[in-house]
Amino acid sequence: MKVRRLTSRYLGPRSLAASGSLLLLASCATNAPQDTWQPKGPNAKMIDDLQQPVFAVAGIIGIIVAACVGFAIWRYKDRGQPIPEQTHGKPALEVSLTVIPALILAVVGVFTFRAIFDLARTDDTQLVINVTGQQWWWEYDYPVQNEWGITQPIISSGQLVLPIGTKVLLRETSRDVIHSYWIPALNGKRDAVPGRVHTLRLQADAPGIYAGQCTEFCGLSHANMRMEAVALSDADFAKWVANQQAAYQAPAEGTLAKEGESVFLNQCVRCHQVSGLKRADGSLAIAAPDENVWSGAAPNLTKLMTRNTFAGAMFNLLRDACRDDVWRAESAAFGEKYLGGVDESCLNVNDLRAWLRNAPEVKPMYANPALLTDTNGKYRGMPNLGLSESDIDKLVAYLLTLK
Amino acid sequence: MAIIERPTPVLDIPALPAAPPAITPSRTFGALKRPVASTGWKSWLFTVDHKKIGLMYGATALFFFIVGGLEAVLIRLQLAAPEGKVLNADLYNQMFTMHATTMVFLFVMPMAAGFANYFIPLQIGARDVAFPRINAFGFWCFLGGGIVINLAWFLGGAADGGWFMYAPNSGPVFSPSNGIDFWALGLQIAGIASLTGAINLIVTVLNMRAPGMSLMKMPVFTWLVTVVQFLLLFAIPVITVALFLLTFQRSFGAQFFDVAAGADPLLWQHLFWIFGHPEVYVLILPSFGIVSEVLPVFSRKPLFGYPFVVFSGAAIGFVGWGVWAHHMFASGLGPVSVAVFSVATMAIAVPTGVKIINWTLTMWGGKLVFSTAMKFAVGLILLFTIGGLSGVTHSVAPSDTQQTDTYYIVAHFHYVLFGGSVFGLFAGFYYWWPKMFGKLLNERLGSLNFWFMVIGMNLTFGPMHILGLQGQPRRMYQWTEARAGEGFFNIAFWNLVASIGSLVLTLGILFFLINIVVTARSKVRAPLDPWNARSLEWMTSNPPKEHNFDSIPKVEHLDEFFHRKYEEDPVTHTMRGVATAEQVLAELERNADPHIHMPSPSYWPLVLAVGLPVIALGVIYSTMVAIVGGFIVLYAIYGWALEPATAVASDFDTPSTNGHAVSTTHG
Amino acid sequence: MAETTTHDAHVSSTGLSNVKLGMWLFLGSECLLFGGLISTYMLYRGRVSDGPTPEQIYDIPFTSVSSFVLLMSSLTMVLAVSAAQKKDDRGVNLWLTTTALLGATFVGGQVYEFTAFYNEGLGFSTSLFGSSFYTLTGFHGVHVTVGIIMLLALVAINKRSSVPGSKSETVEMIGLYWHFVDIVWIIIFTLVYLIPV
Repeated sequence: MKVRRLTSRYLGPRSLAASGSLLLLASCATNAPQDTWQPKGPNAKMIDDLQQPVFAVAGIIGIIVAACVGFAIWRYKDRGQPIPEQTHGKPALEVSLTVIPALILAVVGVFTFRAIFDLARTDDTQLVINVTGQQWWWEYDYPVQNEWGITQPIISSGQLVLPIGTKVLLRETSRDVIHSYWIPALNGKRDAVPGRVHTLRLQADAPGIYAGQCTEFCGLSHANMRMEAVALSDADFAKWVANQQAAYQAPAEGTLAKEGESVFLNQCVRCHQVSGLKRADGSLAIAAPDENVWSGAAPNLTKLMTRNTFAGAMFNLLRDACRDDVWRAESAAFGEKYLGGVDESCLNVNDLRAWLRNAPEVKPMYANPALLTDTNGKYRGMPNLGLSESDIDKLVAYLLTLK
Repeated sequence: MAIIERPTPVLDIPALPAAPPAITPSRTFGALKRPVASTGWKSWLFTVDHKKIGLMYGATALFFFIVGGLEAVLIRLQLAAPEGKVLNADLYNQMFTMHATTMVFLFVMPMAAGFANYFIPLQIGARDVAFPRINAFGFWCFLGGGIVINLAWFLGGAADGGWFMYAPNSGPVFSPSNGIDFWALGLQIAGIASLTGAINLIVTVLNMRAPGMSLMKMPVFTWLVTVVQFLLLFAIPVITVALFLLTFQRSFGAQFFDVAAGADPLLWQHLFWIFGHPEVYVLILPSFGIVSEVLPVFSRKPLFGYPFVVFSGAAIGFVGWGVWAHHMFASGLGPVSVAVFSVATMAIAVPTGVKIINWTLTMWGGKLVFSTAMKFAVGLILLFTIGGLSGVTHSVAPSDTQQTDTYYIVAHFHYVLFGGSVFGLFAGFYYWWPKMFGKLLNERLGSLNFWFMVIGMNLTFGPMHILGLQGQPRRMYQWTEARAGEGFFNIAFWNLVASIGSLVLTLGILFFLINIVVTARSKVRAPLDPWNARSLEWMTSNPPKEHNFDSIPKVEHLDEFFHRKYEEDPVTHTMRGVATAEQVLAELERNADPHIHMPSPSYWPLVLAVGLPVIALGVIYSTMVAIVGGFIVLYAIYGWALEPATAVASDFDTPSTNGHAVSTTHG
Repeated sequence: MAETTTHDAHVSSTGLSNVKLGMWLFLGSECLLFGGLISTYMLYRGRVSDGPTPEQIYDIPFTSVSSFVLLMSSLTMVLAVSAAQKKDDRGVNLWLTTTALLGATFVGGQVYEFTAFYNEGLGFSTSLFGSSFYTLTGFHGVHVTVGIIMLLALVAINKRSSVPGSKSETVEMIGLYWHFVDIVWIIIFTLVYLIPV
C-alpha cells in the first residue's frame, strides 16, 4: 500500500519522511465503507495517485508556514527591543516567493489536466448502465447488450451490479431534482441532472460491495438516498444477468404467498412493476407509477430478493448477521454468497414490515395526502397504504418469492 | 455632491442673516420636516452619520451571528450521534440553509460593512461617506432583508433548499412552504444594501481622500474593502437576476427552472456561482484588510510588501471572476470547462499565498506585542493557511470530485470563513473597540475568548476533514452507524468530537459577549492611542467626534500617524518617538476648520426601506399589500428627492458659538 | 434618487463629481443585470414547449419604429443636456418633456406589443421563451419608465425652482442613465428581434 502510493505514476517517488505521516494515518482506516483514500478501481486510483502528492505538498507547505510563524512568534516577541527599522519589503524576495508556489501549481496543473481528460473518456466503454435518480432512490437500467447476455432490459434499484475488471459507463439522469452519484472506492461523483445525461466511468478490481451516497442535496430524505455497487466476477455476473431475465414464477396456489400476490395486485402494482406478473384474468399487470408518483416512477420489484436493500438502500433486506456475512466475504466467496439472495431466515423482517405498515414514518417523504396540492395529488415517495397486519404477512411472504 | 465640506474659506457658505437660534425645522420636504433629535433612539433611527450606521450594522450583525451560531449548535447536536433525533429532516434542512444564509449574508457581510462604514472615512481622512442618506438606506435594507428572511420561521417554515438553492429543488413543487419566497425576497432587499453600499464606498474612497493620500498611501483595509465593493458592484446584479427568476417562477408561474418545459437546471448554478464565488472573496478580503492593519501595528513595522498585498488583493478581485465553475466540477460541465476552471482556481491560490507570506514577513524582525487583536490576527494566518491548502487540494478537479459535497468541503470553508473571516473580524473588534466606544475590551477575557475559539474551532472543523475524506456527505440530517466504519477514522467518534468542539466554540463566543458587557460597565476610559497605531483613524478622539477630524490631515506617508509620532534614527535606523498621540491631535485641533457642515438626518432612508419588506410580503401573500408597499416607496422617493442632503442654514441651524463648533443638532 | 446639493463644485480626488461617479458605477452594475437577463433569454429563446415561437409573433416593422422613437429620445436628451449647459431653462424643460414623451411612446408601444403577444397565446408562463422574453423586455420597460418619471420630476422641480444645486449636472446624470437604457435596447433589439433563433 505504502509503496504503491509513494511511487505515484504522476509525480514519481516522494520522500518517505514527507508524506509518511499522512499515509500512516490513511492506512489506519479499516472497514471504512466510503473512504475516499482507498481506491478499489482504476478510476478512483487515478484520482488517488493525483491527490496523494498534492496532499503531501500541501501538508509540507502548511508545516513550513506554521514553523515560520511559530519561529517569528518566539523570536520577535516584544522583549523590550527598540522599534525596528521601517522597511517596506524586499521585492526580489516577494517575487521569488510568488513564483515558487506558481511553479508548484503549474506542475500540479499539468497532471490535473491529463487526469481530467482521462476520466472523461467514454470511447473505451465495455458495459453501459443507465442510472436515474429520483427522490429518494436510484434506478438502474441495463439496456440490451447481447455480449453480456442482456437480451432484454433489466430494471433494478437499490444495488448497482457490475462485472469486475470491466469499463462500465454510467449514463446518469434524474426525474426530478439534481442528485449526485458517488461510489468513493470506484470514482469521484457526478451529478444526475434532470434533462441532461452525464456519464461516469466505473470499474472495480475485485468482487465486493462498495458503498456510496447521494451527494447533491435533493430534499427531505437526501440523507437516506444511498447506493451500493456490487462487483461480481464475469461468471457470477452472467449468472446474475440470467436470473434477472428469468421468467416470473407465480407462487403456488393456496400458499400465503399466493394471497400476498393478490394483495400486491390490489395495492402495490399501481406503482410497482413486477415483470411477468399476471392478474387473475390472465392479463399482464402493468404498473402506472406516473399516475400516482410525481416524479413518475417507483422501484421495479422484479427479483426484489436478489437485492440486499430496499427503500433507496436506506434499509437492508438482510438481517445484520447475514449482511455482514456477505459484505465481509472473501473475494472468491463473495459472488456465491451475494447471488444467494435473501431467504426467509435472513430477511430483515422488522424494517420491511415497518415500511409496509407506514412508509413515511420510517423515511421522511412528501406523502401526506392532505398536502399534495402542488403536485396535483401525486405522491413524492411511498404513502401509508393502510395495510392490515394480515395483508402485511401475506405481502412479506409474497415478496420473498421474488428472486 | 460632496457632503463633506473641505476646509474652505468662509465665503463658501453665503453670509446669512442671523439664523434662528431654535433648532426646530422650518421646512417641509415631502410631508415631513427634518428630524432633529441628536440623542436617544431617534438620533439613531434617522441618522446619516457613517459611524452610527456602522455601529448599527455591527450590532445587527452580531445579533444574527448569535442566531446563526445557535442554528449551528443545533446542527451539531443533531449530528453528534447516529440517527440524531434533535431535529427532524425538514427542520434540519431549514437549519443548515438558514445557518449558511445567516452567517454569509447577515453576519459576515454586514459586519464587514459595519467596519467599512465606520473606518473607511476615518482611514482616508473624510468626514462622512459620499452619499450619507443612501448609506442609511442601505443599513435599513439590510435589516429589512434579514427580518424578511427570518420571518419565514414563524410563517410556515424557513427556506429549506440550502443556501445555494439549486434549481429545480427550489421550485414550488419541491419546496411547497413559503420559506424560499421569503429567502429570495429577503436576499433581494439585503442585496440593495450591498449594491448601494458598494457605490457609496467606492465613490467615497475615490473622491474623498484627504489631501496627499494617493491610492498607494491608503491603508490596506481601505484598499481591500474597495476591492470588495467592486466585487459586490458586479456580483450583486447577477444574484439579483437569479433571485428574480426564482421569485417569478415561484410566485408568478414563470418556467425558468421547469425541466419539463425544457429548462436547464445548470442556468441557476452558473448565475449563482458567478455571484457566489466573488462573494467568497467579499467575505474574506475585509478580514484580510483588518489583519493587514493589526499585524503591522503590533509588530511595530510597516506591512511587508504593501504594493504586493494591494495588487494581490486586486488580482484576487479579477481572477475571482474566472473560477466560479469550480463549485460545479461534479455538475457535468465537460472536461474542457473543468480543466480551464481547475487551472484558474490554482492560479488564484498564488495571490492568496502572497498575503500569507507578507503577513509572516511583517512579523519577521518586528517587536511583537500579543494583544488579543494580535492573537486573532496570527490565528487567522495559521487557520486560513490550513483552509487555503485544503482549497488547493480541491482545485485539482479530479480529487474535488471525491471531496465536493462532503464534510471535507465543510471543513475547508470553515477554516477559510471561520478561521479567516471571523477571526479577522474578531481581531477588528479588539483592535477598534476603543476607537468606537472609548473603552478597551478586557484583555484577560479576550485571551479566554481567543483560546476557547481557537481550540473550539479546531475541534469542530478539524475532524470534518476526516469525516469528509471518509465519505460523509454534507446536508444529511442523519448519519448511520452502518456506514460509520471502524478504527481510528470511524465517523462516529469524529462527529462526536466535532459536536463537543462546537460547544467549546460557543463558550469562546460567550466570553466575547461577557467581555462586551464587562467593558460597557467599566468606567476606565481607553487612552487616546492604546495600540501605538499607524493610520489616520487614530488621529482623532475616542470615539471620534461627529465630524471625525477637526482639520483634515495632510497625508505624506503610508502609516501617516506613525510617522508623525516617530522619526528614524539616521545611524541605527531604529525609530525614536518625536511626538505623542496627544500632541499630534492637539496640532490638528489648533488648525481646526472654522466651518464644518455635516449632512443632516433624514426620515426618508428609513421610510423607503420600510416599503420594501412590505412589497415582499405583498408578493407572497396579496397584491394589495404590495401596492401599499409601492406607495410607501414612492412617497419616500418623493420626499427624498425634494430634500437636500445637507440642510441649508435656513432650514435650521444653531448659531456657532465659536469658529470650531459643529451644529450637533444634525447628529 | 437624484440628490442635489450645492457642493458639487468641490474638488474631488478624481475630478469627477460624486453623483456622476456614482452613476457610472451604478450603470456598470446594471450592465451585469442586463447581461444576466440577456443570457437567460439567449439560452431559452428557442425553447418553446407550448405556444407561439419567436418567428411567429415578432412584428419587426412595428418594433423597429418604436426602437427608432427611443433612439430619437436620446437625441432630444442630448439637446436637453446642451440646453442645461447654456443655462437655457426653457430649452431644458422643452427637451426633457420631449424626451419623456418619446420614452412614453416607446413604453406605450411595448404595452401594445405585450397585449398583442398575449392575445396570440404567449403568456408569461406559456413557455421558457415567453417567461424569458417578458422578463427581459419587461425589465427594460421598467427602466425606461423609471427614466420617464425622473425626467418629468426634474421638469416639475425645475418649474418650482425650489431645489438648489447644479441643474446641468442633474440633467447630465439623468442623461447618462437615459442613454444607457437606450443602448441596452439596441442590444436587446438586435439579439432578441433581429437575430433568428
